This record gives sequence, C-alpha cells and structure tokens, in this order.
Amino acid sequence: MITLQHFLLISAALFALGLYGVITRRNAIQILMGIELMINASILNMVAFSKFDRAENTGQVFGLFIIILAAVAVAVALVIIMNLYKRVQTIDPSKTKSLKG
Amino acid sequence: MGLLSILIFLPIVSGVLILALPKSLNTWYKYITLVACAMQLLLASYLYYAFKTGDGFAGVNQLSQYQYVENLSWIRLQLGSLGTLQIDYLLGVDGFSIALVWLSALVMLMATLSSWEIKTNLKGYFSLFLLLNASVIGVFCALDLFLFYVFYELMLLPLYFLIGMWGGVRREYASIKFFLYTLFGSVFMLLVIAGLYLSVTDPATGNHTFNMVHAMNPANYSNGAIFNLSSGAQIFGFPARLVGFIVVFVAFAIKVPVFPFHTWLPDAHVEAPTPISLILAGVLLKVGGYGIIRIAYGIFPEAAVSLSFWMGLIGVISIIYGAMNALAQRDMKRLVAYSSVSHMGFVLLGVASLTSEGINGAMMQMVSHGFLSVMLFFIVGVIYTRVHDRDIYNFRGLANHMPVFTGFVMVAFFASLGLPGFSAFIAEAFTLIGAFSSESLNGYVPRWMAVLGALGILLGAAYLLWTLQRMYFGKLRLKKEEWKQALTDVNARELTVLIPLAAFSLLLGIMPSLLFDVMQGSVNQFITLFK
Amino acid sequence: MEQYFTDSQLLYLALITITAPFLSFLFGQFFKKYAVLWGISSISISLVTSVLLFFSVWQNQVLHYSFSWIKLANIQINLGFLLNNLSVIMLVLVSFIALLVHIYSVEYIRKDALKYRYFSYLSLFCFAMLCVVMADNLFLLYAFWELVGFASYLLIGFWFTKRRAVHANKKAFVMNRVGDVGFLVGIMILLAQFGTVDLQTLFAENGLIHSSFVQNGLWVSPFRSMPSAWLTIAGVCFLLGAAGKSAQFPLHSWLPDAMQGPTAVSSLIHAATMVAAGVFLLLRISPLFNEAVLTLMASIGLLTAFMAASIALTQTDIKKVLAFSTISQLGFMVLAVGVQDNASAIFHLSTHAFFKCLLFLAAGMVIHQLHHVKEYTETKFDEQDMANMGGLFKRMPLTAVVFIIAALALAGLPFTSGFLSKDGILISVFDWAGHRGGLFWIFPLLVSITSWLTTFYIFRLIFKTFFGDFRLPNIINVRAEEMHLHDPNNWMKVPAVILAVCCLGLVFAINPLSLESSWLHHAFVQQAHENGLLHLLVPVYINVLSVVLIIAAYYIYAQGRITFSNQRTWYYQFSYQQWYFNWLYDKKLVALVLWKSKMAFWFDRYVIDGLVHFSAKAALFMSRLSDFCDRYLVDGAVNGIASIMSRFSVWFRSMQNGKLQHYFVWMLLLFLGFMIFKIII
Repeated sequence: MITLQHFLLISAALFALGLYGVITRRNAIQILMGIELMINASILNMVAFSKFDRAENTGQVFGLFIIILAAVAVAVALVIIMNLYKRVQTIDPSKTKSLKG
Repeated sequence: MGLLSILIFLPIVSGVLILALPKSLNTWYKYITLVACAMQLLLASYLYYAFKTGDGFAGVNQLSQYQYVENLSWIRLQLGSLGTLQIDYLLGVDGFSIALVWLSALVMLMATLSSWEIKTNLKGYFSLFLLLNASVIGVFCALDLFLFYVFYELMLLPLYFLIGMWGGVRREYASIKFFLYTLFGSVFMLLVIAGLYLSVTDPATGNHTFNMVHAMNPANYSNGAIFNLSSGAQIFGFPARLVGFIVVFVAFAIKVPVFPFHTWLPDAHVEAPTPISLILAGVLLKVGGYGIIRIAYGIFPEAAVSLSFWMGLIGVISIIYGAMNALAQRDMKRLVAYSSVSHMGFVLLGVASLTSEGINGAMMQMVSHGFLSVMLFFIVGVIYTRVHDRDIYNFRGLANHMPVFTGFVMVAFFASLGLPGFSAFIAEAFTLIGAFSSESLNGYVPRWMAVLGALGILLGAAYLLWTLQRMYFGKLRLKKEEWKQALTDVNARELTVLIPLAAFSLLLGIMPSLLFDVMQGSVNQFITLFK
Repeated sequence: MEQYFTDSQLLYLALITITAPFLSFLFGQFFKKYAVLWGISSISISLVTSVLLFFSVWQNQVLHYSFSWIKLANIQINLGFLLNNLSVIMLVLVSFIALLVHIYSVEYIRKDALKYRYFSYLSLFCFAMLCVVMADNLFLLYAFWELVGFASYLLIGFWFTKRRAVHANKKAFVMNRVGDVGFLVGIMILLAQFGTVDLQTLFAENGLIHSSFVQNGLWVSPFRSMPSAWLTIAGVCFLLGAAGKSAQFPLHSWLPDAMQGPTAVSSLIHAATMVAAGVFLLLRISPLFNEAVLTLMASIGLLTAFMAASIALTQTDIKKVLAFSTISQLGFMVLAVGVQDNASAIFHLSTHAFFKCLLFLAAGMVIHQLHHVKEYTETKFDEQDMANMGGLFKRMPLTAVVFIIAALALAGLPFTSGFLSKDGILISVFDWAGHRGGLFWIFPLLVSITSWLTTFYIFRLIFKTFFGDFRLPNIINVRAEEMHLHDPNNWMKVPAVILAVCCLGLVFAINPLSLESSWLHHAFVQQAHENGLLHLLVPVYINVLSVVLIIAAYYIYAQGRITFSNQRTWYYQFSYQQWYFNWLYDKKLVALVLWKSKMAFWFDRYVIDGLVHFSAKAALFMSRLSDFCDRYLVDGAVNGIASIMSRFSVWFRSMQNGKLQHYFVWMLLLFLGFMIFKIII
C-alpha cells in the first residue's frame, strides 16, 4: 500500500529536482518552473499530511491556497521576466546582477 | 673673553663667515682659513711664550696654578633633593696642555696649506675643517669633564665627514670604522664621567661637579660615592675605580692608538685626504695621549699604578708590533700609519714608567711625532697628488729626479728613526731611560720592557731606510712613462710646510729644554699624585 | 809643562775645532762651487787647533768644560768637552788623517758632478767624529756616534744610483743600529744606576764606578742598586755598541759591503777613524767592565781577528781584502782592551789608522788609475779585481813602494810602527794567558796564527797586484803601452808619502825596536809588562815565520812556482764566502724578520681587524635578526589579523554578488546549517 513515506519521498524528490532547477538553470523561465516544482512538492506534502486532520482538512485547504498563490506568483514572475527582458535583452539571472536599471 | 676662548672661537667664527659667503667667492675660503689658522698660531705662540714656569705654576691638580683660566657658569639646574647640577665653562692650561695647544695650532696651519689640493665642495670642507680645529683646541683647554666630552665628541663629527666625503676609494668604510671605534670608547667613558659627577663635590659650593681638577683630589669625593677611594664600591665584582680607569683608558687608547685598538688608524689614514691625515696623525693621536695622562692617570692614580705593568707591556707591544707591521707594507701611507702606532707606543711606555724622564720623554715624543708624522704624511701626499699612486715598488731612484724633495724625505726619515739632533731622538731616548730607571725608582715597569722598547728604534731604522732605498735611490724607474713629467720637485707652498716642520724638529732636538722647561713643573707635580 | 793658553782660550780652541767642519758642511751645501775649499780649509783649521790642544793637554792636564743642557728631576745631561790624553791623541789623529784624505779626494773625486756633496758630507763626518772624541758624557757621545754613522751612511751611498751601494749603506746603518741599541741600553743602565752619564764623574780615578761594588748579588752604587747581572749586561751592551761600530763579530758584515763607497771614504771612515770609535768607546769606559765582560770582549776580539784574517786570504777584490784586514786589526784592538792592555790598544789604534789609511789610499790610486784606463780604452773590466792586475810595480812605482811600507807595518815587521804596537798586544795576550793558564792558551796560539795569516794575505795582495805579469792586457786585448798607466798626480801622491813616513817606527819611538821607548804607549801604560823572556821571544818567533811566509807568498803569487788547486775545497769556499755570514744575515735573518713582519701584518689584518669586522658583522647580524623579528613577528601579527579580516570580508562580499541563484544557494545552506545545528543540539 502506499504509505505516507512514499508521498514524502516523492515530494522530496520533486523538491530536490526543483531546487536543482532553480540553482543551475540559466533561464529565468526554467527557474520559475523549478520554483513551481518546489511549490508542488510542498502541496503534495500538505495533502499527504492532511490525513492526520480528517475533520477540518486543513492540508487540502492549504494545498488549494498554495495553488492559487503559485498561479498568482507565476503571473507576477512572468511579468517581471518580460520586463527584465525588455530592459536587458536577456533572461539569464546570472547576468543581471547589477542593481542599476 | 679670555685668550683661550679666542683661540677656540676664532675658527668657529671664520667657519661661520665661510658659510655665509656666497659660492662665487669660493677661492676666498682657503685664504680665510689660512688667516684664521695663522692668527691662531700667533696667539698660541704668544701663550706659549708668556707661559709662566716654576713652582707656583705647576697645574695638574691645583686649579689655582693653571694659567689663562676662564671660568663661567654654564648650566645650573636645581634638581631638588639631588642638589644643583653644575656644569662650568672652565678653560685653563698647564705644562701638559700648552705644548699640545701650540702643536695643534701649528699642525692646523700646515694642514690648511696642504688643503690646496682639495678641489670639490670647498665651502663644506673648510667650514668642517675649522669646526674640527676649534674642537681640538677645546679638548686641550677644557678642564670641565662635561665640556671636555662635548669637544671630544665634536671632533668626531667633522672628521667623519672630512674622511667620508673627501677621502679615497674606500672612504665610507674607513670613516665609519673610525667613527664607530672612537664612539665605542667614548660612550662608556660618558658613564664614568657621570659616575665621577655623582662622586665629586665642589669644595667651594658643595654641589656635584664635573670639574676634572677637583676630581683629582681624593678629599673632594663624597662619602660612600661610587668612585670614592675608601668606599670600596664594586662594579661586576671589580673595584669601581679600577673599572673606571680601564674604561677611560680604553677610550683614549683607541685614540692613541695602542695595540690592540689600532686598526682604525691605517684605514683612516690611507683613505683620508692628505690634510686630514696630517691632522689625524699630528693632533688627534695626541688627544689620546693627553687624555691618558690627564684623565685616566690623573683621576685614577692608584688604579693606574696597579696596572702600570700592563700599561708598559701594551706600550712595548705597540712599539714592536707597529714597527713589524710597517716593515710589511707596500703602501707608503700605510707604512707611515703603522710607524705612528710604533712611535705612539713610546708615549704609553713613558707614561707607564711614572718617572720624570719617562713622562717628559712621552710628552716630547707626542710633540716630536706631531712634527714628524705630519712631515711624513705630507711627503706621501706630495707624491700622491702628482701621480695618484703610493705603492713603494712603483717608484725607484727619485733622488736624482726630485733632489730637493728627497732632501726633505731624508730629513724626515732620519728624524723619525731617531737620528740625534732631531726631537725624536731625545724623546725616545728619554722615554726609554725613564722606563728603565722605573724599576729602581718606583718599581712600576720592569727593566726588560725598556730593553725591548729599544728594539723599536732598530726596526724603525729598518723600515724607513728600506723604503728610502727602494723608492729614492738607484736608477730612475717609474711605473708609467708619463709620471716623469708629473713628478716635479716640491713647489714653494710645499716648502713652506716642510721647512718649518723640519726646523722645529731640529730645534727641539738641539734645545729640548725649550719644551722640558715648560713641562717640568707640571710633570713633577703629576708624579706626586702617585706617591 | 808650561801653560801657553788660558782655560777659556782652550775652550774656544775646542769650539773652533768642531765648528769649522760644521760650517764647512753648511757652506758646502749652499756655496757649492767652493765646497772643496771649505772642506780643506776647515779641516786644516781643525788640525791646527787640535795640535794646539794636544800640546796643552798631553801628559799635562785634563780639561773638562760642561754646560747644562737637559735637567730633569733625577738626571742631568750636559753638553761639554772632556779633553784628556786619549781624546787629544784621537783629535790629532782624526784631523790629520782627515786632512790628508781631503787632499787626496780632490783628485779622486775630481770628475764627479756632485763633488760639493762629497766634501760637505766629509765635513759632516769630521764634525761628528771630532765631537765623538771630545764628548764629555755618554749621551752626547751616543748622539754624535749616531751622527757619525749617518755621515758614513751618506758617504757609502754617495753613488746612490748604484744598487749595491745603497744596499750597503742601508745594511751598514741598520747593523750599526743593532749595536746602537746596545749602547743605548748601556746608557739607560748607567743613568738608572748613577743618574749621570758624565765620563769624568763615572770613570775617573775616584769616580762613581770605582765607588760602586757588588754585594749579595746586588750592584750597589752610592745612589741606588740593581741586581748584579745588570753590571755584566751593561758591559755586554756597550760591547755590542762597540762591536757594531768597529765591525766586530757578530756585527762585522757591514764593513766589507761598505767598500761600495768611494775609496777615499773607505780609507778615512772605514779604516782609520770611524771604525776605531768602537775601540775608543771601550777605552773610555773601560773601568766599567767586569771579568766576565772582559773575557767575552777578548774572545770576540780574538775570534773576529782570526775570522777576518782567514777570510782575507781568499778574497779577490782588493778593497775587500783590506776591509777584512781592518776588521781583523780592530779585533786585535778589542782583544787588547779585553786583556786590559789599554795602552797597546790605543797605540795600535793610532798606528793602524796610519798604515791602514795608507793601504786604502794606495789601493785607491791603483783603482783610480785603472778606472782611467777603463775610460781611456773604453773597455769593461772590474778595476778592483786583483785578477786584472799584476806587475804594477814597474808602472806605478811610488804607489807600490808606499803600499809595501804600509803592508810591512800591517804585518808588524821590525822598524815599522806596526811592529811596536802589535808587539805590545801580543805580549799582553801571552802574559794574560800565562796568568790564567789552561784553555786560555788558545788566545796566544790563535793570535800568533792570525798574525801570520795577516802577513800572508797582505803579501798575497802585494804580489798579485804589483808583481808578476801584468794580466790586464790579455784580458781586454789592449797593449800595455797604450794604457798610459802611471802614478797619479801630486794631489794623491803627497798624502800617501806623508802617511808612509808615519808608518815608520821612528815616528813613534826613539828606539824603533822597543815598545817601552814609545812616547804614545808610555803615556797610557798603567802597569808595565814584566820584563820576561816573552818580551824577547814573542817578536822574534812571530817575525821569523812572517818572513818565511812572505817568501812563500812571493813564490806562489808573484812567480807562480807553487800552485794550489784548492778552490773547490770546503775551507777555501768557507773563507771565500766570508764564513757564510752574508748568506746567514742577508738571506736568512732578513727573510726571517720580513716573514715575521708579514705574519704580524697578517695577524693585524685577519685577527685583530678580523675581530673588529667580526664584531661589526655580529652587530649587523643581531640587527638583521631584530629586523626579522620586527618585520615578521610583531608586524606579522598585526598584518596577519588585518589580512584575515580582509580575507573574510572578501569572502563575505562574494555572497552579495547580485546573482540570484547564489542567494538561493546561501539561503539553502544557511537553512540547512540551521537545521543541522538544531538537530545536533
């Protein structure tokens, strides 16, 4: 049977993959995708842990909440990336280390 | 202002004058120096002439018997419970110093005449020269230990520059060696002077004092002071007065110089320009001898007596050793330098004997060596300025080529090897006689030392005559052909240096009483310190 | 004797005697043209005053003038004259011979450009020598003694471009200096002991020497005392001084070399007068010597006499033979002083002065004329080598005759002056040895042998030079007639003839065969010889054999009938090489001294100066060390902290590099670190 441990492992693997993506990618979009993966891992954790709160389903609620937040964040992030691209013609984050505009 | 002060400050004023004159007048400098030195010599001659001799004018440890005394309070500091710091500007001469003052004035004049060869940076040269002049006279006149020390150190400064800037190839080495050697001795002497200051009180005022005449009287030492004869104080387990004597002796022995403190001398002489060599040999070495007599022996008589065997031994070793070294030289200037070591050894031997003959002979030797070493160095200078070479083997048969010059060379050589009729003979004979009779009279110096010392006379003949044979006799043969034109006979200026020196040496050799009479009283008074 | 002059007049006479040559010395240097005139006139004046002084003082009185010169606490040294028998006879002797040599020199030195110097130096010598003779104290005597040596130095090196001459004069002066050191030490001993060096005070009949005595190993004078060894040392020291001046063993080897000087100088200084000064000194201070010193003195005199005579046998240089002859004769005089026969010593000194001076002058005439031949024929040969002579009797008869007269005197044959004086010495030696007996018989034996050797070598010289064949023509291939060899002119002849007269016994004694009848000897005799058999036998047996030897020499050297081939033998070489003393002194001793001086210099250079340099280097090293400490330890600590801080700050700065992903990593690491920290705790 599938136990909580399996969920946690999957979630950890997802998180790790996301983290890896965030750290290594040279593309802001891909970093964003890595962030999404990490968020998804946390959502998976929330949902998996929600079995300990069957009465109020806090885990599920938080899961939903996070999904919405993630969507919003993606929208904002995409806008930032577009703006970034507009200004510096690149979306490589390692090249945009100057605080000057 | 007294005569001695004029003697000291005349050169300083002239030096300042030279510094104040613009560079465009640099041909004047030597004449200004010449006039200053000539006036100084005149004044010194007057002092010598007017110097009173006799029982009441012995000096040494009687302040009232000094002549031309000047006493001004110089520094007075209230030190609370320690009393008053008393430093006096105290000048005066007795039989020991008057001869040396006169000798310094003469040598300075000769050195000025010899300074014509200096061509670079005249302003610096002559002002330093005059400063040196003043300090040398000051050393011989000062009767206050502090003042003495000031003049003594003041001598070093101009000499350092005079050797270091106008010297030969290795001048930096020589000047530093000279400076450090002398400083090494004098720094420790300063400690002894401080110790003496704390021990001696002025009987008139009750203050501690630097007065060296008061320091010669045991009654002036305060009770329990470090250098008090009866306090029995010790330094490093040795009696304090013995240590004090040795320290002061070493300081002056370096200046004399005696074996084994002499190695600065050949280097300094060889590298120094001719006029400075003249001053070094003619006057500076005498400061050492004078200091030994006046300060080391005068202030620490009983320590001197207890070490007189060693003093004599060092003197004898210097005589023989210096002569042996001179025999081994090829460089004529170095040869003369080592001969100075040998001749100054007689001074120490004579003083160590503590007999009237010995000390008179030692003083005579200092004066005589003043004439003769100046003459010898000047002779080397004459050749050196013409061809810039001093190697004995590069010359032969100069006698026919430079007859007048060779005549003076022979006079100088024979006078220094002690030919009767010249001052060195009287000096050396009396020194040895004094040293020999010491054992019968007071037992300070054994007889064999005098016998050994007499061998120095033999060796002196050997190295000087050998040089004479190699350089001046035989057929003319020079290292380079063009030297023949360069080696002209002596000119008028050089004659004015050589003739008076030879004449004075001859005069003192024939009439030694000219000097003995002046010193006699002081020497006898000096000897009573050791009874 | 009647008194012709007052004391003050005598003083002026004495002053004139020495002032004249001194002025001549000065004038000769400055008025060069008239140097000859100054020289001859001054010495003539001296001769006249000397003779006047002689007649006033001789056997009559002792004149002693002195003036205070140096006065110190314990000692007083005067300037003064002491004129007694000994000094006046020396005065006359010196000034007389000096005058003759001056005259002779006029011709001898005629062509030299530096003639004025020669006469000037000669006057200096006369001045100093007369002062030596008259000085009234040892200190003054020493002073002029040195001055005499100096004049001799100048004159030996008169031809100063000759390498050997300047070598010789240096050697002479330095070897004399060895003796002078002894002399000076002797003076020091006397001054320390008596506080005076006045000859009269010390050595007169009732002088201080006589009132001092040796007791319990102490030598006691009226003033002080010192260990008795010093009495002997004093004697030995003065003996050394005399040996230096009088060319006695071991300080004799300068005299043969001194022959490099002009021959006239050799005759005056190195034969007649200066070298006699040593003997003169011994005579003046003879009361000082104790038994040990006297024996030593006699031995040295004997050894020197024998050695020099044996060397003279084989020398080929005419002047060298005469030089060794001089040394040998001086040995006789020292021997005479040693056996306490002062009268004979003085007598021999006087007679020797005449005949030896004449020998040199005559040899000088030969050399001078041969030199002319050399210049005339433009050839090269050694004009002093006897191998180039022979048969000169026919060509220079006068020279040969005077030479032979002098040689007879030297050999001590009857009717000559030498006979008388040598006789005296021989008899004294026999007497002396007779009193002592035993080993002391060596003395008369060797003296006799030396006496025969003397005869033999001087006649060898005569026969080789004046008889036999004239060898020079074959050597230089010039016919004898073309050489124009003849006696020199009167400038040279007259002094020689006068001296030849003085070599005759009649001049010194009414009966030329009896020593006792000699006025000169008589004046100094303290105790007469015992009129024994010796007195008759000694001269006879010496002279008989001498005559035999002369004949033998004639056959060997003049006729060539007897020939030796002993040049290879060791004894011939030993004699020819002058007993190897030159080799020993010039090569070995000088090399030793030079080596020692080099060692001293090495010591000075590397040990004493090395110590100085070492202390300088040590100081430098210490300062480097402290510099190192300062730079790397003290400053290092400060700089180290600073650099650690800056390293950290660089590192921290790298966190804030604006790279998004770096921040991520840091955040992660911090988070992880925090977690791990939390977990561990």
